[in-house]
Amino acid sequence: MDVSNILASHAAKFQSVTVEKETPLDVDTGFLTVTDLTPIDEDSYKSNLEEYLQVTARDGIQALVAALYGLPTQPSPDGPLAQLPPPTTQLPRAKPLPKPKPPTKWERFAAAKGIQKRVREKKVWDEERQEWVNRWGKDGKNKEKEEQWIHEVKANAPVDHDPVKAARDARTSRVAKNERQQLQNHARAQTAASGRDERKKDIERTLATTRMSTASMGRFDKKLDGEKKLRGVKRKFEATETSVEQEKQASLAVLSKLDGDVKRTRKEKGAGDDALNVRKAIRNVSKGRGGVALAREANKKGARGKRGGKR
Amino acid sequence: MLRTVKPRNARSKRALEAREAKEVEDVRTAIFVKGTHTGEILNGVMKELMALKRPDAISFSKKNTVHPFEDASSLEFWAGKNDASMFLLGQSTKKRPAGLIVARTFDSRLLDMCELGVDNFVSMAEFKTPKSTPGHKPMMHFASELFDTHPRFVQVKSLLMDFFNGEVIDSICLPGLEHVISVSIAPAPSLQTANPILGDSQEDDVQNLPKIHIRTYTVKLLPSGTRVPRVELTEMGPFLDLSLRRHQAADPEMWKAAMRRPKLKKQDLEKGLGKKKKNLEVDEMGDLRGRVHIAKQDLNKLQTRKMKGLKSMPVEEDGSSEESEQEDDPRQKKRKRD
Repeated sequence: MDVSNILASHAAKFQSVTVEKETPLDVDTGFLTVTDLTPIDEDSYKSNLEEYLQVTARDGIQALVAALYGLPTQPSPDGPLAQLPPPTTQLPRAKPLPKPKPPTKWERFAAAKGIQKRVREKKVWDEERQEWVNRWGKDGKNKEKEEQWIHEVKANAPVDHDPVKAARDARTSRVAKNERQQLQNHARAQTAASGRDERKKDIERTLATTRMSTASMGRFDKKLDGEKKLRGVKRKFEATETSVEQEKQASLAVLSKLDGDVKRTRKEKGAGDDALNVRKAIRNVSKGRGGVALAREANKKGARGKRGGKR
Repeated sequence: MLRTVKPRNARSKRALEAREAKEVEDVRTAIFVKGTHTGEILNGVMKELMALKRPDAISFSKKNTVHPFEDASSLEFWAGKNDASMFLLGQSTKKRPAGLIVARTFDSRLLDMCELGVDNFVSMAEFKTPKSTPGHKPMMHFASELFDTHPRFVQVKSLLMDFFNGEVIDSICLPGLEHVISVSIAPAPSLQTANPILGDSQEDDVQNLPKIHIRTYTVKLLPSGTRVPRVELTEMGPFLDLSLRRHQAADPEMWKAAMRRPKLKKQDLEKGLGKKKKNLEVDEMGDLRGRVHIAKQDLNKLQTRKMKGLKSMPVEEDGSSEESEQEDDPRQKKRKRD
């Protein structure tokens, strides 16, 4: 039985979709990229550039499409969805890797006990009304007790028992407890990150600031036992008699700072003040005209002032 | 420098959390900025590239004086403020006409950039052919061996891949593959990858570096006899001829930090990724199977369960014991056999 004809015809069917190249093409299905490492053929390049580029591109893309159609697929309403493997080429990240957060107290307990996390749905079935209502939020079921118009009260309840107030207090206390636990988790995560000494320094710094933040700047306040003495800034005074050279240097330095040289201000733009955005400040004051215009105006005003100006 | 925003409501908190770093990142948003003077060509180029990059593209409407090769602080400020990490700056000067600078940031600091000069540009409007739907992921094709060997072309390939196709996705709709961006290099026989005698003579060889051709085609999948369709390309989209100019390579420390990968999770290991772990294999059912190797056991010293009832009885008296021993022996033997 001669099957060579059948085999030949079968192979011929695949001919139109296979691509033969000297070096195998590097297909990265994860990024939908194909790299063709064969050197450029100069003759066909020079003869007809566009056609040559299109032909090489077609071959490359045929190989990529063949690889993509070879991947496992899932059906979907828009067509087959190919499951892409993770990419082979490595591209740099845009942001650094996130640091893993330490688990919270509940997360540690749940991990130890093997409790799975279950996300609750927002709607809950209300038997009385026979419909789905919100568990919390607008018209939430958690506020049901407070919004009822009639309440069952126990026989031994005190006279001034307000069931609405009791229900509302219970809900607010639950909310407060949850917020407190979140803060504790946050503080625990922070302390895990920073060391004990840093925290101590932080606390001492805050304490020093609070002691100074009184009406008298901390000077006439009673000191508690155990508080350390506040360190002040020591002022340094120059000697009354300095040499002529030193005085000359000091005066020249002051003069040079006062000069207002435009070039120097522009050079110092880089080392700006962290608290003040110099660029924005100049733009604001000069009404968009820029630093040069400001300097010009200042000089003009100065010159006018010297001459006597409007006076 | 940027003031840290404290979230005041749940919506702003969600927006802030969306900007934080994630293990698997989103697409890089690109900012298109025009310099003090851009010609008609550059305007067209930037408009078309933005059309290809939509919706992850922000275009600045005002012209800005920015010289990234001297001072990258403006780029870093814009990257932090807009939560974007790629830049395309267009600047045309007499010395460098039609210059396009492609820059990438990492952690709000400049990572690397490359200046390309646009020599020839054919816009999308000049091809009266149907275009691809904006927002679809393009396929990319790089055609030259220089993309693997020459460091400048490796950088260009990495930048272009990051610009058009940087997002890692796990599945793609096959009929949705609509367009291809093909990048090829002109032949240049005089180019050597790295001349060991002269060392790295970098920018002197800028004129010798071959040009880059970027072509965009739409893909038509024609039925062939088999499951794989036959690919036919039709011209669409911008045709760009670029020449390489200046560049700034990434600082090796920053590059190393940017290339750090997250630790592989269990599912990836089961898929067979990561370091080839010995004694682990995934069988046909898709389950992870392991082999445990234990030392050779001495069966004589095997610790089995003790059956108290089967224990041999202790000997009582001499007289009766001899007979009883003889009788006992076959009994004992029987028990032992049991």
